[in-house]
Amino acid sequence: MRYDFQNIVITGYSSLSAAGKGIDPLLHMLTANESALTPVPTEYSHGRDLLWGRSINFKASDFIPPLKARKMDRCSQFAVAASGLALKDAGLDVKQLQPERIGIALGCGFGGLANSAEFLEGYFSGGIEGLSPMLFPNTVANAPASNASIEHGLKGPNVTMVQRFCSAESAFLMACRCIEEGRADVMLTGGADSLMPLMIAGFAATGQLNRYAAAFGEGCGVLVLEHAKHAACRHARIKGLVSNVATVGLIMPGYEAEAEQILLSELSNDVRCSLSGTAAQTALFRQVLTRSPSPLRIEPVVGRSLAMGGTALGVLLSTLGSNQKGLHLASSPEGPHYAISLTGGSSV
Amino acid sequence: MAAKNRVAITGIGIFCGAGKDIPAFTASLVNGTSGIAPLDLFDISAFPSKLGCQVKEYDPRAYFDRRETRKLSRADQFGIIAAGEALRQSGLPGAYNPYQIGVSLGAGAAGMFQSEQWLKSHLQGVAAEPSLLRGILPDKTTTEIALRFGLAGYQGSITTACSSSSTAIGWGAELVATGKQRAVVAGGTDTLSILTFAGFNSLKVIDPNPCSPFSLGRQGISLGEGAAFMVLEQEHDAISRNAKILGYVLGYAIAGEAFHMTAPDPSGSTAARVMSDAISASGVNASQIGWINAHGTGTPLNDVVESNAMKLVFGTQAAKVPLVSTKGLTGHCLGAAGAIEAVATLIALRNGFIPQTLNFRGRDPECDLEYCHNGSITSDSQTAVSNSFAFGGNITSLVLSR
Repeated sequence: MRYDFQNIVITGYSSLSAAGKGIDPLLHMLTANESALTPVPTEYSHGRDLLWGRSINFKASDFIPPLKARKMDRCSQFAVAASGLALKDAGLDVKQLQPERIGIALGCGFGGLANSAEFLEGYFSGGIEGLSPMLFPNTVANAPASNASIEHGLKGPNVTMVQRFCSAESAFLMACRCIEEGRADVMLTGGADSLMPLMIAGFAATGQLNRYAAAFGEGCGVLVLEHAKHAACRHARIKGLVSNVATVGLIMPGYEAEAEQILLSELSNDVRCSLSGTAAQTALFRQVLTRSPSPLRIEPVVGRSLAMGGTALGVLLSTLGSNQKGLHLASSPEGPHYAISLTGGSSV
Repeated sequence: MAAKNRVAITGIGIFCGAGKDIPAFTASLVNGTSGIAPLDLFDISAFPSKLGCQVKEYDPRAYFDRRETRKLSRADQFGIIAAGEALRQSGLPGAYNPYQIGVSLGAGAAGMFQSEQWLKSHLQGVAAEPSLLRGILPDKTTTEIALRFGLAGYQGSITTACSSSSTAIGWGAELVATGKQRAVVAGGTDTLSILTFAGFNSLKVIDPNPCSPFSLGRQGISLGEGAAFMVLEQEHDAISRNAKILGYVLGYAIAGEAFHMTAPDPSGSTAARVMSDAISASGVNASQIGWINAHGTGTPLNDVVESNAMKLVFGTQAAKVPLVSTKGLTGHCLGAAGAIEAVATLIALRNGFIPQTLNFRGRDPECDLEYCHNGSITSDSQTAVSNSFAFGGNITSLVLSR
């Protein structure tokens, strides 16, 4: 299916990743063919030479009052911080606007599982005396989006999507629809992930350490989507336009051509592409490599994560010239698959 | 969504502690037969409450082969069973191109019941069965439903805790109403786990007795588990293929309270705004709403807030619009609660009654509306609202009609 949009603009974006704060450090490393990946400590690496994209320089207290930050899981801290940076980039002061008209739709990967594991470890080791009630509220996957909404006062639509490597893209579609439907004037969208050593143990146990989990990353990428009229009224700088979002859940044997028609109708030789999730391994998307020879891939720089699409979209957008077309492609191994068409900043 | 195509419900399926299919669940709903009973899914001896609404006498091999039983989490299994029932009733398979049929799922703890067994072994240094981890993420159920039934269109998994599956139904209806999908299988699944049982116990919000929403002396929730799904199609498509139309999803609204991770805004103002927005989006007015299927958890605060929200929406008429909770029947099924309650609402609308709120202990002066504590009542209502509130302040209201 495909939704075409006429009135949705992007007025801000930001990211926190292993490369640092904001999109620029990541883009610099990407351009310089550098990587922010670091070795996984041997106590977690199961005897393998693994890399990960840990955001080692991220300090929650730089963004959130320490007492509040203490109550949040790491994924929520990323989401609160990146949302604040994106709002600032968009020049939006929520207090000056109707908070009911500003919402958030966020993709989340393993968010909540770190707290779940810690909470359960307390129970397994200490029984009910070992339970920590402070951990439990942030065991839910919507903790990052909800904490961001609480900290920034976003009272509009609030959704979290978990859809494997297309979690952020799933949230992006819903954010666009919230604006298109008139449910909100502004939607923050993107994805948040956090790393934990237990993930590596889990991937090792299921035999997926090399296939999908090598060089896992963490962080949060957030874009500020806005109705064009709303953006125009406040004279916001338009950093991009959303043209359409296409998706299929599964690429069915015998129906590949139809999937290609849905997903790749916007592909042309002059479109700048980005590949996210497992898109580079998806047969349908491999042709992109011939028609768009140097697709952007942030994975070698900051690692791969389930909700990396928010950061990948921000990077793609930051490289587009005025009116230049961009096509973001994302896949999960068993589906879904997404194609998001953007246009570089122009006046509307 | 009012100006768009009407979204018809052509199939429903359910699998929960109060009934393992629609006929059994309907009987429980009509008779007020609760599924809340002593739990035996895992060791609960250390906890003050021993009750919950567990799916009892469940043998996965009655539904799945050996390989599938190992591969699928309890949540995956429940989801596939309920979605399958809905699809069979709808007669949908084969009706449309596979890319025109999507899956919209709401989830909670997903495969935590199995995954926490892996974690326990891992912490003890004991090798555990790797397949216990396969359902750790909620999107696994979505993909499994899509693969099993050949649904190649939209796949989305909403994870807003206890409002997940009502949002999934609203969102699924939107995909259909806009014509982007010819049909969507929408609903939710969630199961009991040590994580959620211990978690809610740690917050001291589990009632040692069966939950008693809106009653004096209520102490909290009774947890439950299950899955429920609806098949959604445009009305004209359903008519064209002679499908039986069971009812309609008229609209929905969602918002975040931006107040607190676990406590609701005491004013109920956001809940009231969401209910009003949903009613407005549905093209009906408040006077056409026959009753509300409340979130109605049975926690002291939730029930007062929801009652307050009712007064903000319906004003002087609030006491004439019954606010009932079916959680005394099903327990609080968390990520599946919204879908189970949406199905319960539709069944009640179709059968001309408003369900009883079970386990009355006495009238709470702060809950001073009509809750049908004394029994279900006959009703010719066409339209009802189903509310879902969640951790994080996520609120969803869904408007359904028969």
